[in-house]
Amino acid sequence: MDNITSRHDPRFEVTMYKYMGVENSHKLDFYEQHGGYQTAKKALTTMQSVDIVNEVKASGLRGRGGAGFPMGVKWSFMPPVDGRQRFIVCNADESEPGSTKDRFVLEDDPHQLIEGMIIAGYAIQATLGVIYIRGEYHLGYTRLYDAINEARAKGYLGKNVLASNFDFDLILHRGAGAYICGEESALMNSFEGYRANPRLKPPFPAQAGVYGFPTSVNNVTSIASGVHIIAKGADWFKSMGTQDSSGFHHVQISGPAVRRGVYEVPMGITYREIIFDLAGGVTEPVKAFIPGGSSCPMFPFTDEYLDLTMEYGVVAKAGSMMGTGGIILIPEDKCIVDALANVVHFYAHESCGKCTPCREGVSTWLPKMYAKLLAGLGESGDLELLEDVSHNIRGRSFCPLADACIMPVQASIKHFRHEYEYIIEHGKSMYAKKSRWQE
Amino acid sequence: MKVKVNGIELELAPGTSAIDAVFAAGSDVPYFCSHEYMSPVGSCRMCLAKIGAPRKDRATGNWVLDEETGEPQIFWFPNPMATCTTAIMEGMVIETEAEEAVKAQRGMVEMTLINHPLDCPICDKGGACELQDRAYEYGEGISRFEFDKRHQEKHHQLSELITLDRERCIHCKRCIRFFEEVPGDEVLDFIERGGHTYIATVEEGLESNFTGNITDLCPVGALLDRTSRFKGRNWEYEHTITSSLDDASGSAIVLDSRTGRLERIKAELNTQVNKLWIDDSTRFGYEYVNSSERIKTPLIRKGDNLEAASWQEVSEFIADKLAKLAQKEAAIVLRADSTLEEGYAAKNLAKILETGQIDHYPRQLASVIPNNSASLNDLASSDAIFVIGDVSQNVPIVDLRIKDALKGVAPPEMFEHGVPIADLRLKERMIRKKEILTVAAPYNVDLMRHAGQAHIYEANSEEAIFKALTKIANGEDSSVAAMSNEQAEALVKRLNEANNAIIIYDGFSLASPAAAIAARNFANAVGAKEIILGQMANSYGLEAIQVLPSHERYGYAEIMQGSAKALIISELNPANNSQYAQNLKELELLVVHSIFENETTALADVVLPAKSGYEKQGTIVNLEGRLLEVNAAPIDAGQAQDFEFLAASIIAALGKEGKEDLASLAHKAIRKQFGVDSKKLDPEGDLKPLKPRANNKAKLHIQSTNIGNALIVPTMLRLEYIDKNPHLLAERGAAKLTMNSIDADANGLKNAEIVSLDVAGIKRSFSVQIKDSVPAGLWLIPALPEQAIGLLELDRASLKKELEPA
Repeated sequence: MDNITSRHDPRFEVTMYKYMGVENSHKLDFYEQHGGYQTAKKALTTMQSVDIVNEVKASGLRGRGGAGFPMGVKWSFMPPVDGRQRFIVCNADESEPGSTKDRFVLEDDPHQLIEGMIIAGYAIQATLGVIYIRGEYHLGYTRLYDAINEARAKGYLGKNVLASNFDFDLILHRGAGAYICGEESALMNSFEGYRANPRLKPPFPAQAGVYGFPTSVNNVTSIASGVHIIAKGADWFKSMGTQDSSGFHHVQISGPAVRRGVYEVPMGITYREIIFDLAGGVTEPVKAFIPGGSSCPMFPFTDEYLDLTMEYGVVAKAGSMMGTGGIILIPEDKCIVDALANVVHFYAHESCGKCTPCREGVSTWLPKMYAKLLAGLGESGDLELLEDVSHNIRGRSFCPLADACIMPVQASIKHFRHEYEYIIEHGKSMYAKKSRWQE
Repeated sequence: MKVKVNGIELELAPGTSAIDAVFAAGSDVPYFCSHEYMSPVGSCRMCLAKIGAPRKDRATGNWVLDEETGEPQIFWFPNPMATCTTAIMEGMVIETEAEEAVKAQRGMVEMTLINHPLDCPICDKGGACELQDRAYEYGEGISRFEFDKRHQEKHHQLSELITLDRERCIHCKRCIRFFEEVPGDEVLDFIERGGHTYIATVEEGLESNFTGNITDLCPVGALLDRTSRFKGRNWEYEHTITSSLDDASGSAIVLDSRTGRLERIKAELNTQVNKLWIDDSTRFGYEYVNSSERIKTPLIRKGDNLEAASWQEVSEFIADKLAKLAQKEAAIVLRADSTLEEGYAAKNLAKILETGQIDHYPRQLASVIPNNSASLNDLASSDAIFVIGDVSQNVPIVDLRIKDALKGVAPPEMFEHGVPIADLRLKERMIRKKEILTVAAPYNVDLMRHAGQAHIYEANSEEAIFKALTKIANGEDSSVAAMSNEQAEALVKRLNEANNAIIIYDGFSLASPAAAIAARNFANAVGAKEIILGQMANSYGLEAIQVLPSHERYGYAEIMQGSAKALIISELNPANNSQYAQNLKELELLVVHSIFENETTALADVVLPAKSGYEKQGTIVNLEGRLLEVNAAPIDAGQAQDFEFLAASIIAALGKEGKEDLASLAHKAIRKQFGVDSKKLDPEGDLKPLKPRANNKAKLHIQSTNIGNALIVPTMLRLEYIDKNPHLLAERGAAKLTMNSIDADANGLKNAEIVSLDVAGIKRSFSVQIKDSVPAGLWLIPALPEQAIGLLELDRASLKKELEPA
């Protein structure tokens, strides 16, 4: 993200990303000067926790981590307060290739996340919050670490937060480099010191989460959105976006775009607007785009798909997912088999090894098949085998990681079957050009 | 709940898993990760089926019915579901044979096999392998995987007892889950991830008493028993199901033998006793039976030598000698793991010889028969347990059943297909209810790790503890050694208020009749049931049928001190005690029934070859009062015979044969005493708890020492055989002399140093083990069959260093 030239759709007021890139924006002084912690104060001193849950519910905010589950509904699954410890967990293990939206909040505006955690904690009556941050986010970690200490020293964390009767503190936990920790139950295992294997559901985190206690796990920008929803109200949030998908979201564009970067946009915007208006168009011919991070099936770069509105329902209907909003452009002369080999390699490396289809299919068989194709050793029948093995993996694994690998594979075959057939027939790719990172 | 499996309607309890519904319907579905008595985890993804449920109207919540058929409309889940982790719901429809289910299962077999080596012809699991069977039943028969398989270590020795072939592992996680869920010893885990995932131990290795179970659990040949490695193919073994004589649980085991040798022991299901688990001593402690040093023929003394003879010849010789004795001059002693049949035979022989000098050993002063007996399944569903002693070493299965109770999951209801394959109440890393367990012992015992309260008390204060607790239970003021008043009161309150309180005690309490009475009184006061841990497999049974002296002058110790002129002794080696050896030399006749030569056979006039516990046929009574069958495996033991044959031969030679043979007398006696037909016992045994003997004729006059500097402690290992069990010896090491570092420093001892020591007349050799959890001044010595548990005064000056540690 070397050249962020615009951070938002100029037609709308920017909220969460308002102070990104501003000098000292990560400091408490700066945050306080710009109205920081006033929303938490309002929530803790003038609102009941159930009001907050209802407000978030009414806003229609859907989880920004990728699955799009309404956050207020998730919070309302928490069991009644019964004296047990409760946890609010922030999933800051942003590892989806193509996604960088959380990173800017963590690095440039950590207090916004802390304020969101206080509000979320109060909403579900959790006195302990955990921020599970991706291990590679070193700057984000140090800034968040310092911010938590600043906040604690100022009485924003600890006993009687903001002179209310509510106690709240945060635990900052660094991941050790596993994509699967973005899956909420694997994240909780990892936090507890166990292997990062996903847990069996049910029980869901609300019934038995961290250490078996009631827990809610939410994404960084979902939690931070909470601050603005409480500050400005659900109606303000709903004034953006559509019935299906309300509010604003952050799209991250990578690949051959003129202005690669993160953009705060209202939901319902079209992909054409994002790519051509905000990002300034493409620098070279593009044949496909991935709408939400590497695990989402790609769309051909055609009018049919460019005119889709960015809504959970619309994208799903078109055969892909909103995901994290990480849009990846795939150049015309990039061999799709090579591109997918890269994606498959990523998931093969990140498979936790718990279940058979992912360990043996995604982590063992698929990368070998792609290596064979790229080496020019493909034979007739290989494509059909790849399709059948993909079919045997999809929807059969323990957690969605295997599907996250298989869906892009299947989409690439669906839209670019001829490139697979070419490489099998000719023993070499349709496009000779190598990726920059391969050179 | 009504469910439909492949068209068959079933009524099942809520909470049943879909996989059990499938099996209950008589259908089949493959599975590798699910296992009886362990949590379902859904990781192998083999048990996939097409599953649907009735569609509900959102407004009314009622089922939407098909307009034509009137049947509920079925909403099919979009993907095949793992039946092991799916709970049934009302109206659920499960199709294991639907096209998409079959395709999913085939695809999963294929993927399971892509990294599994095709070395079945040299694999010990071949022929008894779940993966082999399932691949035949559900696989395509052909692999489309054309690449190199994963190469990993093929001979990774997890311990001296278990080897791991990492290439064969299919990552079902049964072994890892076993250690965490069953004994609570987390010693194994996956390392690395994805296709590189493999199994490894913690740095200390496999520190658990139950490691061998993972070789049974493993659905492939990845985890193998090293004692039986490459010894035979599964289809060549003769499988004999029997009860173990290793300890007082009577755990169910399978003896795998071939060409007259016992090659392997595996656990067998007994839902009432050991479930599917056995400890390592029970599993690996068998190799001695194949030893070339076994006595295979009767031997008779000719001058200084023992020479081979026939049973006929020696029986006549013995009869001649016995006929010359007066009443009460002959003595018979059995070991406490002899069968009921052997016990009756001994009693009949004693009757013919007109002697009351008959006993079994090891045996303590107090009765091992509880007044108000708890079964092991009672224990598993108990809500308050007080243990005083060392359960884990005495009867390891009791340790496991206590841990069942800590999970708070009662033993499952059985299906027609047996134990639930996926009991959805069980979870990985369940929070254990430690607070229900209190453990007290004179030193740090393993079970204390799992207890809510743990107390180390001064050795031999069991009586005082039970009496003080009884006072508290009766509302009187009292203080209990090693416990605070709050702790003692909390313990009494918990036991009092529990629905199913159980008190467990062992030889430490039985060593003094007063302590045993105090224990019983305390159990009565708080309304608790009791479990008493006898030292050997049939301690309960032999006491129940009164293989006991007619008078306190005639007990084991008195016999060894010269109360008899002739002695017939089975499977004990009293001459390892130098003082007893002197007395035994004075005997007019010493008949020793033994598996191996030892100090006592060296003094014998006649040596008779004995059968091991794996070669006998008979009946035992375990610590619950459960009659269990003991069956003989076809092991070549020469002319070895059990004590029943021995007694019959002597009776025949004496010309005193009655109308009935000893076997039918025993059969009748068992029916009379226990009310069961010993030839038609239930495969899981018949629970017939008795009342303790009211009038103990065997009140012995041995002084139980109230003071001492050493404690004979129970040991899971059978030390009399350990040097002939090479694998177990290599893993567990020689007998340990355990002491505090203060004592070690005072005597200039180092860890693992080999020393010899006179233990109340028996010269024994030990490896020193320094543990600061042992109270200073107290040395711990593992028990031998000739040395019952309890406190004794040790002559520490007899300590000699034999070897410096390596």
